[in-house]
Amino acid sequence: MAPITSDHEHQLRGITGAVVPPDRLVCGPAGEFYLVVSREEFEKLAGILAVREYALISMFCAEDLVPTHTTSLLYVFEKRGGVLVLVTDADTPVPSLALRFPSASWFERECRDGFGNVFTGAPDTRRLLFHEAYPDGFHPLKKSFRNAPIVPKPGDGSGDEYPFRTVLGEGVYQVPVGPVHAGIIEPGHFRFSVIGETIFNLEIRMFYKHRGIEKLAEGKDPKDCVRVAEAVSGDESVANAAVFCMGVERITGIAVPDRAWYIRTILMEMERICSHLGDQAGMLTDVAFPLGASQFSVLREEVFRQNASLSGSRFLRGMIVPGGLARDISPETLASLETFLTEFRKRYRIGLRIVLSTASVVDRFTGTGVLKQSLLLPLNITGPVARASGSRADVRTDRPYGVYAGHAPSVHPLSDGDVLSRFTVRAAEIMDSIDLILRIIHTVPAGEVRTEKPVRDGYALTLVEAPRGQNLAFVRIRNGVVDRYKVRTASFCNWQAIEHAVLGNIIADFPLINKSLNLSYAGTDL
Amino acid sequence: MNGEFVAYCVINALAVLAIAPLYMSLIKKVKAWTQGRQGPSPFQTYANLAKLFRKEVIYSPNSSRVTRVAPSITLAAILVAALFVPLAYVPAPVGGIGNIILFLYLFALARFFMALTGLDAGSPFGGMGSSREMSLAAVIEPVTIIVFAALAFVFASLNIFDMFVISAASAFPVTPTLILLAISLFIILIVETARIPIDNPETHLELTMIHEGMILELSGKNLALMELAAAVKFTVLSALLINLVLPFGLVTTFSVAGVLAALLLFLIKGAVLSGIVGIFESSMAKMRFFRLPSLFVMAFFFSTLTIIIEVFA
Repeated sequence: MAPITSDHEHQLRGITGAVVPPDRLVCGPAGEFYLVVSREEFEKLAGILAVREYALISMFCAEDLVPTHTTSLLYVFEKRGGVLVLVTDADTPVPSLALRFPSASWFERECRDGFGNVFTGAPDTRRLLFHEAYPDGFHPLKKSFRNAPIVPKPGDGSGDEYPFRTVLGEGVYQVPVGPVHAGIIEPGHFRFSVIGETIFNLEIRMFYKHRGIEKLAEGKDPKDCVRVAEAVSGDESVANAAVFCMGVERITGIAVPDRAWYIRTILMEMERICSHLGDQAGMLTDVAFPLGASQFSVLREEVFRQNASLSGSRFLRGMIVPGGLARDISPETLASLETFLTEFRKRYRIGLRIVLSTASVVDRFTGTGVLKQSLLLPLNITGPVARASGSRADVRTDRPYGVYAGHAPSVHPLSDGDVLSRFTVRAAEIMDSIDLILRIIHTVPAGEVRTEKPVRDGYALTLVEAPRGQNLAFVRIRNGVVDRYKVRTASFCNWQAIEHAVLGNIIADFPLINKSLNLSYAGTDL
Repeated sequence: MNGEFVAYCVINALAVLAIAPLYMSLIKKVKAWTQGRQGPSPFQTYANLAKLFRKEVIYSPNSSRVTRVAPSITLAAILVAALFVPLAYVPAPVGGIGNIILFLYLFALARFFMALTGLDAGSPFGGMGSSREMSLAAVIEPVTIIVFAALAFVFASLNIFDMFVISAASAFPVTPTLILLAISLFIILIVETARIPIDNPETHLELTMIHEGMILELSGKNLALMELAAAVKFTVLSALLINLVLPFGLVTTFSVAGVLAALLLFLIKGAVLSGIVGIFESSMAKMRFFRLPSLFVMAFFFSTLTIIIEVFA
């Protein structure tokens, strides 16, 4: 089931034709388009793409990708499913795109830390991944970098203190929160500038638990690398495994059996149900409505147990492998899943009715943490968060993969962009996921669940709709092993939404807004 | 001061200390039931306090003597206030005890020292908790005064102890307007003890805390004293509500069996009230901080209504 690329191709040729000859646009194995450009062409095209409202969805560095450069920077642009990758050489300083595409700011800082790329005219040149104690010139993603114990910078690091934006004025004071919190939460530092209770500015700092996932993947057999992909973020295990395997399958030219795609879809939708239920329970806990929260927590636990009976793993790990599935799921198990989901839907409706008819909950949710629609494109905010702010973007409909081409979910955009919209969009998506599973569970075709083929070299860029939004993976296989694995989860971009969504809200509402955006720390800090 | 009154003071102070932790567990238990959970044992709070009393006390290097003395002062102030509110046994008042203004400001004293504790260590959450507590205090204080003024109109006395003496003489509310006042007193109870919808006593979110924020830096014995003070405060305010509105069972003459029976009756009435608080908490989410005054206005309304009725009826 190849993605429909002819429309995208036509559109992209129209855009790039003005700058480069059409035959230079190359179609990649997953229906993405690559264009190797000189510095001059790059700047012109970036300008055109910005005007045409393309989003910069990712950007990363790779070594020895094209014969003309030693290191290349890949800029991934997307609009309604059409993907264009501009490849430009990174051996010399590259002009920063951060002012045209604000999402580029974190990407550029990430590349600067990982590979030591230099961007001219970048508005923000602070470190992102590696905090103060890391030595200068530490760029571990370079192929020339050898793993060895790091010698931290001498001193207590206070000389290189991370400069936060400072807000000055009468009555403005700063509230530093984290990275160590009062509860069991992952580490993140939040620097609030508040006037009384009202938030005037927020700056976040993440990346306290860098695991070196991209480096870890290098040199691994693609089959083993799926485990690395699953470890990117616990509750996106299926999505990240799937997006990685899709890349490998495209490169190798494996046709995944239909049965495997049907079951993969069931797993991906189960994961979405689980993730959304967790968010909803969390949002209710944060407004201190444990009666509602416990309803959703109980349902979530039951979904987890169902997951365990489907796959042997509560997080559905170990099922997806390049070429299909590691093992089949018996018709009996699928039948029991159907019974479970039919019952689950009834109970979920009851839970929703209790929550949405409690005035105090609706009052707390309404108008809180509004995320403006105008921010979605510049920051590449995706997923239920974007759909609660009026976006219609969903990889499952924009760039269908697997069985989604025939069973695309309906998109329910809401336009308020507040916590209530995010809660409601998730509720609608849970219902859709249940419906989708129940619809396809009868039509799961019989047959094999895995096609095996020897690995071929090449690279591909694939996208999926994870529970949190658009997840992207770039896989390059060289000499039969993974040479470069870049994953960009939805949270990496969505984190920046929080700095905008909290403005003008009171500081006591921050935990609720944070929870409603459901941002993954692990998915951001690879 | 006669022997009977000394006996009252001892019995009341000990009873309030002994009962208070039970109600905290009961509220948790009821809340757990509404969520389909089993909940902690009714004696869990006692075990927690015992554990905290045995633990090491750690002071922030930035904290001053205030952190060291404030927990004791807070508990002491609330225990003195507890003497004004008989749980089961109402003796003849001695030496003018029961000044209503003194009662209110003993609570204010406890709150003042708690807020100082929050500020003392210099952590942002303590400061935030204290600032929120004092903002709320500024709004709730006039409401509390109006509620007590209404009580004074109903009982025609400015002495809180006299009110109990009058109340104990009859089994049922002295006047129907007391039922209106019960609503106000219930709101005061919820606000003063920092429960949902004002504050969430079970939260781990430091940014939303009010009461928990102020005591975030405390540990060991100091934390135990503060938690005990909060529990005692809840019991005292519950007793105020229960024994003024539903005084049946209060004894006015001392006998061991009589006092014990009355205490048992109070224990049951208090347990029922704790259950109501638990259900009340489960039925709603925490209010947005700046919406809280609208809740206080309800208390204000019912008290003012009582005063109007009492004046013109």
